[in-house]
Amino acid sequence: MSQDSYRPSFNISRVDASVAQPVRLFFASAFLWLMLASILSVITAIQLKDVSFLGGCSLTTYGRLKALEGNLFAYGWVTNALFGLNLWLMSSLTRFEFKNAWLANVGGVVWNLTLTYGAIQIIMGNMNGLSLLEMPKEVAVASFVGFLFAALWPVVAFSRRPTGHVYVSQWYILGSTFVFPIIFALTQLLVLWCPAQGVLQALVHSWFHQNFYLLWFASSAIAAVYYFIPKESGRTVSAYYLSSVGFWTFFLVASWTSPATLLGSPLPLWVQSAGVVAAILMLIPLVILAINFLGTLSWNRGISQSWNNTTLRFVLVAIFALILWGALFATFSTRGLNAVIRFTSFNTGLEHLLTYSFVSFVIFGATYFILPKVTGISWLSSKLVHLHFWSCAIGTVSLLIITLLGGWQQGSGLRADWPSVIFPSVLLLIGHIAFGINAFGMLTAKLSSGHESTHA
Amino acid sequence: MKNIKLIFAGVLFTLSASFIGILLSGRVQLGSLGRAPAEEGGPLFPLREPGLAIQGRQVYISLGCVACHTQQVRPASQGSDIAKGYGPRHSVARDYVLQSSVLLGSQRIGPDLANYGARVSSENEIHAHLRSPKAGSAMPSYDFLYTTGKDGAKVPTEKATALVAYLKSLKIDYSSPEAKLNQ
Repeated sequence: MSQDSYRPSFNISRVDASVAQPVRLFFASAFLWLMLASILSVITAIQLKDVSFLGGCSLTTYGRLKALEGNLFAYGWVTNALFGLNLWLMSSLTRFEFKNAWLANVGGVVWNLTLTYGAIQIIMGNMNGLSLLEMPKEVAVASFVGFLFAALWPVVAFSRRPTGHVYVSQWYILGSTFVFPIIFALTQLLVLWCPAQGVLQALVHSWFHQNFYLLWFASSAIAAVYYFIPKESGRTVSAYYLSSVGFWTFFLVASWTSPATLLGSPLPLWVQSAGVVAAILMLIPLVILAINFLGTLSWNRGISQSWNNTTLRFVLVAIFALILWGALFATFSTRGLNAVIRFTSFNTGLEHLLTYSFVSFVIFGATYFILPKVTGISWLSSKLVHLHFWSCAIGTVSLLIITLLGGWQQGSGLRADWPSVIFPSVLLLIGHIAFGINAFGMLTAKLSSGHESTHA
Repeated sequence: MKNIKLIFAGVLFTLSASFIGILLSGRVQLGSLGRAPAEEGGPLFPLREPGLAIQGRQVYISLGCVACHTQQVRPASQGSDIAKGYGPRHSVARDYVLQSSVLLGSQRIGPDLANYGARVSSENEIHAHLRSPKAGSAMPSYDFLYTTGKDGAKVPTEKATALVAYLKSLKIDYSSPEAKLNQ
């Protein structure tokens, strides 16, 4: 890997210094939630094989711990990290110096406090029955306010930017920032506050789920990939003229894919068919993204060079994960194949592929680039970086093989039990601990060093 | 694209398109769906849930049972649910019209429960399964839902009683205009 990541302490630019505090808060919160989610992931993996593990108590049923794990991963790890990532990316791209970025800190504190309260409520059993909407409805109001304070700063930076040029990354950041509050508010309203009748609830829920994963998670991650590939490879984006087509088709089609996750359900057939068509049409923006990303990286042996750069190495794995997800999602949304893998661990694998192998890997790569810039301190240990990458890479690949193949076997009647994911879950935990030690080492070193040194 | 208003309008349009195309259109088709008799002049189905079963639904949700169990039987053309004995017919939207929170589920670590109430012979059978699931079952014991009586026998708590009433109420053993039992 590049030694560039392990350079000694250096000054922070004014633009970076203006957002350094909230970015550090968001990343620190994200790392803590990731640790907790990873521990829960190991516990629930063990519970699937040893049903008596932590049994005998309502606080630790598999259902509650799994719901908790999902919420901490989505709202704690990914969302906090995306708050920080989007804020830093937009301020960096616009060269906009924030004067009141402390307001984002307020948003971050509100967001994390409400998440903590919601997590306690889930453990106590005061929860709803729909994934990622388990937290009590009163939590949503505070979360919504927290989101507005935490996440809308990229919009401010874009509106008041001193530079005229606009990058593709900025489209995706703005799109994802606009989408989240709209889908969150509408879903809370139609599922928890004024519930829609019958199976329409499931339809609204799946609409939220897909939009949340694709237009908040993936869109923000795509923005980062569009930034880091040209930045770190030193090349311009290949087939740049396609990027606007990719952006609009991505947003237009992704939102329609939700019924593809409900095939065979009691919903009208035309709704399900619309989802299948959208799932296949998703290949259009994904092919464009692949051309943009891989076309840029593959030029002049760029892929092998990328392997020597910490950020690009994570991003490269993420790009292949996104392409694989698109191909599998489109293929297994066709009715015949979907009938086999529906309700099996195959879907767990697909979700992992998108939210972890793609989105989380982009966040990891971005963190290795951003954290030194907002702390002024280099990464403490290159060995821990290597351990993090290989542990998570082997963990995520083995988890995908186990869940995807296992799910296919379940659906084909070749196995009856749920595939065990203890081994990959432990590997991921080890990788996250290595990442956490390195990251918190930097953040605490920053705290102990005190002052913000800056240069123009 | 440099205009933030254009990006916002475009994103809003894409979201609105799916919201109207999927959710509102679905609401137009299903929003007025009500109960229906299995045969002319017969009782309306689905039956109203007893109060205890409604409480039991909350226990089911609070324990996180939906993480492992679905409540939907797919048509024979889209899966082997009927062949596996999960239900005598596939689930239809009408089956859920009275449910305050619909729990279709997405994973089957355990079996589908849409017609579980019709598959078990009695509430005692459910109590026995909750206390000590059969060997090899993927379900843990829910013994903490029971207390020990003076005579040493297990006594269900209010939560256990409500949960069992709910599970026993889960049935699709009636004909619906959209899915007859003999088809």
